[in-house]
Amino acid sequence: MIYLDNAATSFPKPERVITAISRYCREIGANPGRASHRLAREASAVVARTRRLLAHLLGGVDPSRIIITPSTTVALNLALKGLLHAGDHVLTSSMEHNSVLRPLHHLERLGITHTRIPCSPEGLLDPADVRRHLRPETRLIALVHASNVTGGLMPLAEVGALARELGLLLLVDGAQTVGALPLEPERLSIDLLAGPGHKSLLGPMGTGFLYVRPGLDLETLWEGGTGSHSESTAQPGSWPDRFESGTLNAPGLAGLAEGIAEVQERGVDAIAAHKTRIMERLYQELGLLPGVALYGPARRHECVGTLSFNVTGLASNEVAHILDTAYGIAVRPGLHCAPAAHQTIGSFPKGTVRVSVGPYTTEDEILALITAVEQILRYRR
Amino acid sequence: MLLLSEEPKENSESTMFLHDTTVIPKAPSEIDSLCEIVQVSQITKSGRKSSPVAVVREIPLTIFLNDHEIVTLLCTGAHVESLAVGFLTSEGLLRDRGRLGGVEVDHSRHIVRVSSSEDAAFAERLLGRRIITSGCGKGTIFYHVLDSLQSRPVEHHVPLRADQVRHLMGELNRRSELYRRSRGVHNCALALPEKIVLFRADIGRHNAVDMIIGECFLAGLSTQDKVLLTTGRITSEILIKCAKGGIPALISRSAATSLALQLARDLKMTVIGYVRGGNMVVYAGGEHIEP
Repeated sequence: MIYLDNAATSFPKPERVITAISRYCREIGANPGRASHRLAREASAVVARTRRLLAHLLGGVDPSRIIITPSTTVALNLALKGLLHAGDHVLTSSMEHNSVLRPLHHLERLGITHTRIPCSPEGLLDPADVRRHLRPETRLIALVHASNVTGGLMPLAEVGALARELGLLLLVDGAQTVGALPLEPERLSIDLLAGPGHKSLLGPMGTGFLYVRPGLDLETLWEGGTGSHSESTAQPGSWPDRFESGTLNAPGLAGLAEGIAEVQERGVDAIAAHKTRIMERLYQELGLLPGVALYGPARRHECVGTLSFNVTGLASNEVAHILDTAYGIAVRPGLHCAPAAHQTIGSFPKGTVRVSVGPYTTEDEILALITAVEQILRYRR
Repeated sequence: MLLLSEEPKENSESTMFLHDTTVIPKAPSEIDSLCEIVQVSQITKSGRKSSPVAVVREIPLTIFLNDHEIVTLLCTGAHVESLAVGFLTSEGLLRDRGRLGGVEVDHSRHIVRVSSSEDAAFAERLLGRRIITSGCGKGTIFYHVLDSLQSRPVEHHVPLRADQVRHLMGELNRRSELYRRSRGVHNCALALPEKIVLFRADIGRHNAVDMIIGECFLAGLSTQDKVLLTTGRITSEILIKCAKGGIPALISRSAATSLALQLARDLKMTVIGYVRGGNMVVYAGGEHIEP
């Protein structure tokens, strides 16, 4: 099987990730922070190590400001719902995932409004448009770093500088970029960053985080046992315990630590360069085939390792079905939980065939995909 | 010998069948070869009696393409060459008539071997595999991707008048000698607006359509200026066979199904059903039918 669905989750996972999860389950097993016996201490150390590695990856931020979550979606919900109040206005883009758009839609009933800034047909945001859609009550910019449909990167540095100038908070959805690109929130004026452990960080599913810059507070969305300040029924105020009630996915975090270590040993820049090189070839060669429509920026160095295409006359799920059934190639068709992004690039409601590569994707696998698409085009009536 | 008949109904084609049955004194020999005579008990209001009755023949027919076993169809055993070629073209395994090698029939073992220099590996891998949609985005309404790959919206329509439709359906029924004899087959025909050009009958309505499509493929006969007549329901399978065979319109004495009509709308095909007693139901493509 040729796996080209890394934007959904990376696969395969490094062997060291699998070993770490297995070792945790076989040899540690205890609940982190819930006792003082040696196994519980070791479990706590696993979680602390993962948090430290994440903090280091993000440019040396304070580890206590990294809240462990089960996913990017949970992190985004915590950020939006923990931060916003009735009367607040949010600026976001037309390329967002439903993990931002659905919480914002839900918050409308609480009197929190938002504006989706239209992006270009390539799916790119003009930073000048941010200023144009400002309102007096605007408090937050919520922006995806890279589209999960086209791979196109948003102008984060410019938007961050603008947010700082205008006194707005900036929340970044890093689902497609954490671990895929160097990403340092403090350098980019990012106040909140949500990210997954199971995509470019090569960890298992069920891991994610929310970074919140020092000095910025959030309301809790759930309360409960934290293993700390148990004498009080009030939720503790200390970070990150305040936001981590309930047992953490410690085996998953053991795996995530090894995933982060693997990414750092290979080098974030080196992985990004590899993905850009093979995606440039894919984009160029698919672009030469009559009957193939490509979406997103042509400048692949302005993208992460994801691109979208369609074959004229076929539904995206038909192309994906053929690739799976006849060629053993795994891609994701449809709307990718990002209907607004597809409306922006002109592929709604049909969707697109999304190809997303990982650090282990080879050029031969990309060539196999190109050959398969050529054969589909030849067979099509 | 007992001739089975449909229950007579006022203003129905079955009434005509009864009438037609009475005017055919003896079935032709080809029809004899497709029927077997069995002894049955006939129970009527006046009692029970033993009678011989004609039943249509059913055989398993196995189709090979370049020594790959593709499918076993149940059929009457008539026109097996065109049935095999029609099935293979309908399924997208044969596309280029110029690369067809030969069609060998082993009548004793009910096997048809078709050879072609086309590479059918791509289609074979997809044959019969259903597309599973994820619910994320508007997917295809085809359930087999080979159907989608080979079906394109109709570009040239066949204008028809209602009286031509009535005449063609009457003609389809008049030709159905095997049906009158056995009541065990569906009839199918390819027709120009004014006349039937090819008639086939089989126990499977799909087979009858495949025979016609196979005959057209073998003879290089154009289909885009013709319509398909059938006695069977217009289901998605029948409609898709026509779409892939380039036939723009279907006419039936029976009804159409919902999925067939969704596909007909997408493919801009004409569908007329329930052609009985001078009436008809135009399900799709009404703009091409003159009352």
